[in-house]
Amino acid sequence: MSIIKFENVHYTYPGDQLESLCGVSLEIEEGSFVAVLGHNGSGKSTLAKHMNAILVPTEGKVTVCGIDSADEERLIQLRRNVGMVFQNPDNQIVANVVEDDVAFAPENLGVEPKEIRRRVDEALKLVGMYEKRQHAPHLLSGGQKQRVAIAGVIAMEPKIIVLDEPTAMLDPIGREEVISTITRLCREKGMTVVLITHHMDECVGADRLIVMSNGSVVADGLPAEVFADIGLMEREGLTVPETTRLLYDLKQRGMDLPLTALDVDACAKEIVEKLRG
Amino acid sequence: MAEIIVEQLRHVYSAGTPFEVAAIEDIDLSIPQGQLVGIIGHTGSGKSTFIQHMNALLAPSAGKVCCGGQDINESKLSRRDVKHQVGLVFQYPEYQLFEETVYKDIAFGPKNMKLSEEEIDQRVREAAGFVGVEEELFEKSPLELSGGQKRRIAIAGVIAMRPGVLILDEPTAGLDPAGCRQILDNICAYREKTGATVIIVSHNMDDVARIAERIIVFSHGRVVMDGSAGEVFSRAEELIEIGLDVPHATALAMALKKQGLKLPEGIYTHEQLLSAILEIRGAAVC
Repeated sequence: MSIIKFENVHYTYPGDQLESLCGVSLEIEEGSFVAVLGHNGSGKSTLAKHMNAILVPTEGKVTVCGIDSADEERLIQLRRNVGMVFQNPDNQIVANVVEDDVAFAPENLGVEPKEIRRRVDEALKLVGMYEKRQHAPHLLSGGQKQRVAIAGVIAMEPKIIVLDEPTAMLDPIGREEVISTITRLCREKGMTVVLITHHMDECVGADRLIVMSNGSVVADGLPAEVFADIGLMEREGLTVPETTRLLYDLKQRGMDLPLTALDVDACAKEIVEKLRG
Repeated sequence: MAEIIVEQLRHVYSAGTPFEVAAIEDIDLSIPQGQLVGIIGHTGSGKSTFIQHMNALLAPSAGKVCCGGQDINESKLSRRDVKHQVGLVFQYPEYQLFEETVYKDIAFGPKNMKLSEEEIDQRVREAAGFVGVEEELFEKSPLELSGGQKRRIAIAGVIAMRPGVLILDEPTAGLDPAGCRQILDNICAYREKTGATVIIVSHNMDDVARIAERIIVFSHGRVVMDGSAGEVFSRAEELIEIGLDVPHATALAMALKKQGLKLPEGIYTHEQLLSAILEIRGAAVC
């Protein structure tokens, strides 16, 4: 069942001549992990902001959990279903203690104190930050802060979590922490995850990869299939994983290899088997 | 010429308190004029502390830093002079743009060097040229521009001081692949044209592997490796052990070796890996 539905969505920022989204239609399945890749200015953040009605279409329609995003009466209901996480962790943390920060959203939703306690503990355990619940957020690493921000969103118990370049400001360890956390939320908790990024590495584990360019969807499929179209990825100023690139170049030189082995070990296995004949 | 010589450098934060910690210690190295050096290390390994010593933003707790034969911490004057010779571009420098126009922002450094109006104008145009900022943007507010453009303007502001040594902390962080490539090309062009020394701190191993002549690896406040890309990345297992990434081609080469393929040591680019595999195939066919 689709939980997010875009129907011919157009969007132009106030004062702009050019459209930032030019007729996007797509549906996102409940419980899936979808990555959206695109260079700066491709429209991927604009797309994300339509998912919880920060922006509403200038033309066309967005439906999230059955709610039309242009329906102002049901705006709060829609936003409770969609949690957003942004690039800079420092801009998203409001409290002086980790667990207070995570409790912020349920407190505002008027949840019972006992239930808040339960949700905060569960959310912090899910992101692996329970041990640090009494710490001051500003003393945490970037990856830890971003996980606290994710816990804050989970405590609201949304069905969907949309992350707009959540790892752009993190070091490799922080990036890995965030990506493995959101993958677990999808696989174990059945949450729908939409990850906006320009790191192709982070898309490898997704169920589906959408590539945006100039406000339109230019590719949409399994990550391995999308990456295999190396020509398209290069035209879009994006990189492909080293695994795909190597398989592609070996194939060009006469080795009959599939381009779909994205994982490093799977790719190595394909090549070694081919060499041994 | 401005060779950098670092002797027994040590820096202690919060000295004399219970929180006392040595961020870097026992650092001995020299960087000849014109070298392109990549510095890698996990967060907290001391690399940022190290680069802040290169233009006397921090004073050593022990040891010394010399630039062009001069101990940079010798006097107030030497500490000021080194800031003109060694340009430091911090992480996310676009957050430090503050002037009303792009032109004024780039001109800020040379203005503080008390240069003549014509000289300042010449330097602003030259610096903008290096980073590919069009003159049409000069009268715009820097805040109106895209992230990639802002980053390049901030770098131009440092280049306009014509530093003999240019140091950049994570210059490509947060940019898309096209933006990354452009910034690195700009930096390489500056070095080629002026013969400046360039030191880049980065988490992106593929970038470092591609452009650096020499790679210095920091871990727990010490230099643990120092050599060419081939030398450093042939020790891939050790790098992974200290919590660092290796270039994608190196990781794939390691997986191939694990499957029993006899690849040479020190592979760090796609081209090296491709030709090594093709060579094995060629030998198998013969």
